[in-house]
Amino acid sequence: MELTPFLIFALAVGLFMAWNIGANDVANAMGTSVGSGALTLKQAILVAAVFEFLGAVLVGAHVTETIKGEIISPGFFADDPMAFMTGMAAALLGAAIWLLVATALGLPVSTTHSIVGAVVGFGLVSVGWRDISWDTLGPIVVSWVVSPLCGGLLAFLMFTFVRRRIILAEDPYGATVRWSPYLVALVGFTLGLSILYKGLRNLNLDFPFHVAGPMCLAIGAALGLAMRAWLVRRPRPTGYSVGAVERLFAGLQVVTACYVAFAHGANDVANAIGPIAAIVQTARDGVLAAEATVPIGILVLGGVGIVVGLATWGYKVIDTVGHKITSMTPTRGFSAEFGAATTVLLASRLGLPISTTHTLIGAVIGVGFARGMAALNLRVIRHIVYSWVITIPAAALVTVVSWYALRAVFG
Amino acid sequence: MRAITELFGRSPFGPLVQHTHKVHETVREVRPLIAAFLEGRHEEVRSIYDRISKLEHKADIIKREIRDHLPKSLFLPVDRGDMLKFLKEQDAIADTAEDIAVLLTIRETPVPPEMHEEILAFTDKVIDVSDRLVQAASELEELQEASFGGRGAQRVLELIEEVSHGEYEADCLQTEASRRLYVLEDRLDPTSIYFIMKLFRLLGEIANHAENTGDNLRMMLTKG
Repeated sequence: MELTPFLIFALAVGLFMAWNIGANDVANAMGTSVGSGALTLKQAILVAAVFEFLGAVLVGAHVTETIKGEIISPGFFADDPMAFMTGMAAALLGAAIWLLVATALGLPVSTTHSIVGAVVGFGLVSVGWRDISWDTLGPIVVSWVVSPLCGGLLAFLMFTFVRRRIILAEDPYGATVRWSPYLVALVGFTLGLSILYKGLRNLNLDFPFHVAGPMCLAIGAALGLAMRAWLVRRPRPTGYSVGAVERLFAGLQVVTACYVAFAHGANDVANAIGPIAAIVQTARDGVLAAEATVPIGILVLGGVGIVVGLATWGYKVIDTVGHKITSMTPTRGFSAEFGAATTVLLASRLGLPISTTHTLIGAVIGVGFARGMAALNLRVIRHIVYSWVITIPAAALVTVVSWYALRAVFG
Repeated sequence: MRAITELFGRSPFGPLVQHTHKVHETVREVRPLIAAFLEGRHEEVRSIYDRISKLEHKADIIKREIRDHLPKSLFLPVDRGDMLKFLKEQDAIADTAEDIAVLLTIRETPVPPEMHEEILAFTDKVIDVSDRLVQAASELEELQEASFGGRGAQRVLELIEEVSHGEYEADCLQTEASRRLYVLEDRLDPTSIYFIMKLFRLLGEIANHAENTGDNLRMMLTKG
């Protein structure tokens, strides 16, 4: 495969998108952990770097495949692979330009919605309205409404459990020591399942459920036992105090912080490298086979891009976001992150590109419904709806313009 | 893109507790105020009036701050209406303390010495009721952290019970003192009787408002 100017250009835009995810989006995922004090800024950067990367590489392929070849079928371009590659490059460029413009204007935008809108724009200008795969697009749009609700429901249930069994218990500290290993084990189990169950095709490890299930139970049990060992080693504070429970939960929240970072990497890496994967595979093979899996090298590229974005700019944004949401406490943060990360990982496995930020917002509101939050500004819901309504046509429009420009430049 | 920060609104619970403390500072001035008045130290009455008036004004400012930052879109773990009623009743405690201070500066009414002890005991009871309410209300911030339940909430509900009982006792003391006043009616001019009865009524009102504040606090706790 030859590195043509076109390929270099496409890679550069893709890397910019990955950088942007690390620089801006990661802060939303890590903010609740820094805000509650469960992680210091340095720890948050470390957790984000490691787990965003792992999520991108281990589970990132599913959503990447959706963006790469399921909204617009590469089959339409069998005679003109260059048109497909140009279109994907235009989608990347369109999404990137729209993100820059929207950020400059202070509009609420999601990287995920931008890239989906951009790919739709490419479809409109190339194959036309009727040949966009609505069977794929429909569930994606539905998932944007469902994911904040699902995150909210899971977080509501989790916080209700924590509230009833732990915070309101006769002995909240003892109840934390008793119940929290199970909660952490649950995180370990779902995390393990998302990776192992029919997941690691890239590493030629394709476990069926009867193998992956017990393995994940073992992972969960190991994590739970480790948590119990950590809990019982700590000196027990005297007297009754909610503060002592919160300090213990800061330990638990480290686990969900990793979980969120992993889920975010798994879902969002596709926003940057979905089109890149399509371009690189088409350039290499001449035509993109619908069934071709995403090369792990490209996932690694996306993961590296995110980590570089985090290291060069994202740490500042995490710091800012963390300072603004100090009303978050570890019990609330744990519950919200659990609800959000579980939802995002599930969507990732289903190949649905969703907004991690919106899911997390839904999850925090879910905690609020369980009387967990002091004051939530529900106007933010309106912003979420705006971002759906504005971003799709805007990103699509910029992509159409980019399409004509790139056709003119690269032929 | 940083939408998550927009989600977090200003918590009203810290400022509510600030308001509680400011109101309590105002009420604490009532004991020396009445002692000075009974002993005829009217210079001192006026200077205490100045202090009370300033404290009441500060409480008002906090109250307005809280109200100004409660838009309808703010989602709270307690009923907004209950919270606003709580704030209103708590503020009325400070208002009543100021009313008493105003009353005592407008006429230098002599009070029969044999009544002094009884009036001071009544005053102490009223301040004790307010004290207990302050203890309960100042837990609000911690209650929010404990999601309005657990042992902290139990303790607050007990204190509210004590406030209610204290208000009843203050009522009894008020009736006693009023009865005593009319026993001495031959020695007093009607204007003085009217004035002292007004003082009793205002003192009783502090306890009433404290009880209402406690009731609203209970509603905030028990229903979401």
